[in-house]
Amino acid sequence: MMCQLCSREASVHLSETVDGTRRELHLCGPCARKAGLTPPDPPPNAALEAVVDHLIVQHVGELVGELARASCPLCGLKFMDFRTGGRLGCPNDYEAFSQGLSPLLRTAHGATRHVGKAPRKRTPPGRSPRLRLRARLREAIAREDYELAATLRDQLRQEDADR
Amino acid sequence: MNLDALTRTSGEWLRGTGPESDIVICSRIRLARNLADFPFTSRASDPEKLEIERVCRSAMDKAGLDLEYQSLVDLGLLDRQLLVERQLISRELSGGDGPRGVAVGPRENMSIMVNEEDHLRIQVMNSGFSLPEVWEQINALDDRLEEQLHFAFNPQLGYLTSCPTNVGTGIRVGVMLHLPALANTKQIEKVFRALHKINLAVRGLYGEGTQADGDFYQISNQQTLGKSERELIRNLSDVVPQIISYERQARQEWIAQRRQHLHDQVSRAYGVLKTAHTISSSETMHLLSSVRMGINLGLIDDLEIRTVNELFIHTQPAHLQKIQGEELEVDERNIARAGYIRRRLTADRHEEGPAD
Repeated sequence: MMCQLCSREASVHLSETVDGTRRELHLCGPCARKAGLTPPDPPPNAALEAVVDHLIVQHVGELVGELARASCPLCGLKFMDFRTGGRLGCPNDYEAFSQGLSPLLRTAHGATRHVGKAPRKRTPPGRSPRLRLRARLREAIAREDYELAATLRDQLRQEDADR
Repeated sequence: MNLDALTRTSGEWLRGTGPESDIVICSRIRLARNLADFPFTSRASDPEKLEIERVCRSAMDKAGLDLEYQSLVDLGLLDRQLLVERQLISRELSGGDGPRGVAVGPRENMSIMVNEEDHLRIQVMNSGFSLPEVWEQINALDDRLEEQLHFAFNPQLGYLTSCPTNVGTGIRVGVMLHLPALANTKQIEKVFRALHKINLAVRGLYGEGTQADGDFYQISNQQTLGKSERELIRNLSDVVPQIISYERQARQEWIAQRRQHLHDQVSRAYGVLKTAHTISSSETMHLLSSVRMGINLGLIDDLEIRTVNELFIHTQPAHLQKIQGEELEVDERNIARAGYIRRRLTADRHEEGPAD
C-alpha cells in the first residue's frame, strides 16, 4: 500500500471511527514522523534475526523461489518457520510443503511411502472442512472481524452437533 | 488421580517378571496420532487445545477405556516431575503450556498424553521382553480410539505427525535394558555404534539427552516411514537377543575371571545402601545397578529384584519429596533418600514389595 502523502510504501496504518464513520490513514515512515506520528522502534533483536537467517541459509541452504515463500493456506505456517522450529503446523502442511519435505523424509527414513496400518475411515487432509473453518476463524479473529468469527464459530458448533 | 497414593505403589512394568527380565526391564511402544480437524499442538490456540482435549477425553469415555485423566494445568512442578519419573509423561508435556494432560490405565502400563507434540501419544509398557504382546495391546487400543476419532492420515505418508521424523506409522518401539557388564568392559560403545548403523537410537533412563544412570539404556527405532509396524518390531526383536547374549557373556567372563572382586563390589554396594545416612541420586543409581546384577548372578539372595527396580524410581527427587510429604533441598533429599533405602532394604528382604 502506498503512502497517502508521497509515493513510498506505507508503513504506518491508522484507523479511527468518528461519529460512526471509519477513517483510515496510511503513511510511510518519514511522512508519519513529519506528521508527528512516530512509528514504533524497530525490534532490538533485528540484527540477531538477520544473523540467525544467515546461519540457516549457510547450514540448510538457500530455499529457492517458491519454496522460500511457501506458506500453508490453512494454518499460515511458512516453510521457513518449519526449517527453524522443526514442527509442522497442521496436517495440510504435508501437501503444502510436499516439495520441501520429500528430500527430508528420504534422508530421515530412507523412504517416502507409508507401509503399515491405516485407519478405516479417512479424509485427505486439506479437505477436512473443519480444519478449513478453523483456519478462517483464526484469520477472522486476527483481523478483529468478530462478526464473521461468530458466524464461523456457529458453523463449527453446528458441524459438531451434526456428527 | 490420587498422585500422593502413587508413591505407595509402582507401575506393573517394574515388577521384574516376564521374558529375559534380568536384563530387559520393560518393553514399550508408543503411537503418535493427530486429529484431522485441528492444527497440530504447537500451532493450536488455547481454546483449540481445550477443544482437542475435550474431543479426546470424550472419545476415551465412549470407547469404554478404563483410564483416569489427569490435567497438567494447575498441577505443581513436583507432581508433574513425579509423573515424568514414573515414565507416564514426557518432559516435554510436563514443561508445556496450555490445556494438556495424561490418561493413565489401572496398572500404569497404559497411558495417553493429550496435547504433547502430537495431539495423542499413546503408550503401552510391559515388564520384560514382550514386544509382540505390547503391540497387540496398543493396536487394539488404537483401533478403539479410531472408532471415535478422525485421525490425520494420508495414503502416501500414513499417519501425519507434527514432526516429520514420526510420520508414517507414528510408532516408537523400545526396550529398556540393564547392561552393567557391557558398560563395565566399555564394550557398550561398540554395541552402540552397531545399533546406530542399523538406525536404532540409544538413550538413557529418562529419554533424549539423559545420562545412562544405573546402566539403563533404552533402544528404539528411528525410522517410522516405509516399514510396517510389524517389520519395525521385528527389527528390534531380532537385535535385542544379541545384546542380551553379549551382556550375559560379559557377566560370565567377569565372574569367571574376577569372582572375588565382583562379589566384593556387589556386597559393598549392598552394604553402603543398607547403612548410608546420606546418598546422592547418582551414587544410588550406580550402587543399585551393582546390587541388581548381584541378585541376577546369585551373589545376593535375600532381596527381590522388584524391590531394586522400584528403588530406582522411588529414590528419584520428586518421589522422595512426595514420600516425605514436603519439598526438600538437595542435602535434605540425600538424607531422606538414605533413610528411605535403609527402611526398604530392611523391610523388604525375602518379602513381597509394597501392596499394589
